[in-house]
Amino acid sequence: MGKKKRGHPDVEEILARPWCYYCERDFEDLKLLISHQKAKHFKCDRCGRRLNTAGGLSVHMNQVHKESLSHVENALPNRQGLDVEIFGMEGIPEDVVQQHNQRIIQNFYQAQADRYAATGNPPPGQGGKNPPKKLKIENPDDIKKRLAEHRARMAAHKAAGGAPTHTPPVGAPDGQSPAQSASPGTFNSPFPPPGGQYAGFPPQGAPGFSPPPQYPQGGFNYPPSNLPSRPGSNLPAPSGLPPRPGQPGFPGYSPNASTVDELVASASGQQGDHIDQMIRDLERGEAPARTGESAALASAEEPAPEKKSKKDKDKNVRMVYDDELSPEERMALMPRYAFVPQAQAA
Amino acid sequence: MAPTTQFELAQPPNDAVSSLVFAPDAPSRLLASSWDKNLYLYDTLTTSESGDAEDGSGVSHGTLLRTYEHRAPILDVCFGADDNEAFTAGMDWEVRRVDLESGEQTTVSKHTAPVRRVVYSKAHSLLISASWDSTLHIHNPTNPSLTPLTIPLPGKPHAMAASPSKVIVAMTSRLVHIYDLGTLAGALESQSGEAPAPWQQRESSLKFLTRAVAAMPSDGGYATSSIEGRVAVEWFDASAESQARKYAFKCHRQTDNAAAAGVTDVVYPVNALAFHPVHGNTFASAGGDATVALWDAEAKRRMKVYQKFADSIAAVAFSTDGRFLAVAVCPGFETGMEDYSGEGRTKIVIRELGENEARGKGAK
Repeated sequence: MGKKKRGHPDVEEILARPWCYYCERDFEDLKLLISHQKAKHFKCDRCGRRLNTAGGLSVHMNQVHKESLSHVENALPNRQGLDVEIFGMEGIPEDVVQQHNQRIIQNFYQAQADRYAATGNPPPGQGGKNPPKKLKIENPDDIKKRLAEHRARMAAHKAAGGAPTHTPPVGAPDGQSPAQSASPGTFNSPFPPPGGQYAGFPPQGAPGFSPPPQYPQGGFNYPPSNLPSRPGSNLPAPSGLPPRPGQPGFPGYSPNASTVDELVASASGQQGDHIDQMIRDLERGEAPARTGESAALASAEEPAPEKKSKKDKDKNVRMVYDDELSPEERMALMPRYAFVPQAQAA
Repeated sequence: MAPTTQFELAQPPNDAVSSLVFAPDAPSRLLASSWDKNLYLYDTLTTSESGDAEDGSGVSHGTLLRTYEHRAPILDVCFGADDNEAFTAGMDWEVRRVDLESGEQTTVSKHTAPVRRVVYSKAHSLLISASWDSTLHIHNPTNPSLTPLTIPLPGKPHAMAASPSKVIVAMTSRLVHIYDLGTLAGALESQSGEAPAPWQQRESSLKFLTRAVAAMPSDGGYATSSIEGRVAVEWFDASAESQARKYAFKCHRQTDNAAAAGVTDVVYPVNALAFHPVHGNTFASAGGDATVALWDAEAKRRMKVYQKFADSIAAVAFSTDGRFLAVAVCPGFETGMEDYSGEGRTKIVIRELGENEARGKGAK
């Protein structure tokens, strides 16, 4: 899927444009450049004849008008010399080419950065900088993973016989949501690969999670084994393994879900409240994050044009002369120029 | 640098030039008024005509025919009825008539403050002087028996220009008064002593102090410039559609990227304006940025910017046949006021214009 270029050519295209040595203007093609040079820089002042090069013009001036050409017309101050023979793109000294390219590249990236700053759009191919979108896409997976994890912890907790742990079930989502909002772009990073969760082991390196001493036991208490101990289970299924279609709170999950789904589902059976809460938290946490972000974006956008207009306004205009008194009047005040009528009368 | 197309006059004034004017008939006769209290009369072409092929750097161009010393710095000069009559506006409050042939000076009028500008209308035989005493004095030099007319102005005049039928006076507080020359002549003739009301009163299109005014030779309108790098073109016709045509543009500015605070726009005053006598839509503007630009008033285009000169441009003038452009270069007196001296750095550059150099391309 080739992306549509919205009038912003890339840097190679700009660099490839022919440009005029004398005035640094760039052109669509070489023909235009050459005609520009003939019209602007190699045109005879006297008869309007357009020559091909500055040298040609010099010879023409000499022979036809008996005059000598001192500089190239309409050229930048440091490019007026006749010593370089320029025709189109030919004859431009290497260092000038380098300078020009550097300037183009610099301008290009500056313009690009300005554009991104002005529009708030991320540079193409760097969508990762746009967190809300990605969050949305990965949500189901994340929920699943987190649910699985949560459930595993719950299982471990249950297996430990309700012994007080450092990580109460509700604490899990709470403890993780800051991490999530802190680095939404790397949403997955705090979680171990799914394989780890199958075993029911809690993530070892999960931030904010201090492994409780009863984990070894928790590990042995593989989900099926602790299923019977679920007192709140209101479903006749003997184990959590068969899929339970129509499970409230999970309408989106297909019945033939993977083990994780089943785990999620089964976990939700007994702790629907927690999970609902968690989902709600998640949604809420995400929504504010998004609105917060867009607000931040908007606020970033608002000052931007303001700054721009301000920049335009006071673009550091420095007036050489700013006075209601004319320069002549000020001159007239100087003793050197002042006229004293008394002196004349005397 | 370029030998024949552009050259410096030999023996330039010793201090800043206040005004340049070409004679109404001879295209090589140039008057320059200076702050050094002298009026300079040049023949711009004497050497370039004789020296044809040999353009050695040793050849000096133009001849200083004569100087006319005044009591005080001369702020403006204009030619009178012919090539041998000139009027000067002096810091000594006087308007003088100078007979360029004999060198005889006669005081025409006395103001109560320095006289800033003088214009002469040949068609109406009127001499108008504008002084910082906020008055215009109207004379008929051909009929000295008439009591001069004094017109009070609401502000200090800084610029004045005459078109074939009008005279435009630009004052402080952005005031612009346009007087009808016929009316002025009539009022002078009638000797009633009553000052005629201005034909039009306008507010300048420019927000800053007006620096120069030039009238279109076509009698269609005029251009004004301000100290804030801007030029406005307006039309006399007060109808809505004519007024809608007026415009203003920025010019004589330089962007200075070196400043730490980012891009700085350095704005120079536009010191002088002059319309081309033949290609009436073309006018030249000269600024404190040491450049002279040619503009097409009708097409609203810039036609040419000349090579930067060494110093600020104080005055420009086209010769009557439109072939030459005189440019007065001297250090700008906007800066370093305290011990200003244009000595040694004052130059008058004459540029011979190419055939089509000043011809507008026409509105596109």
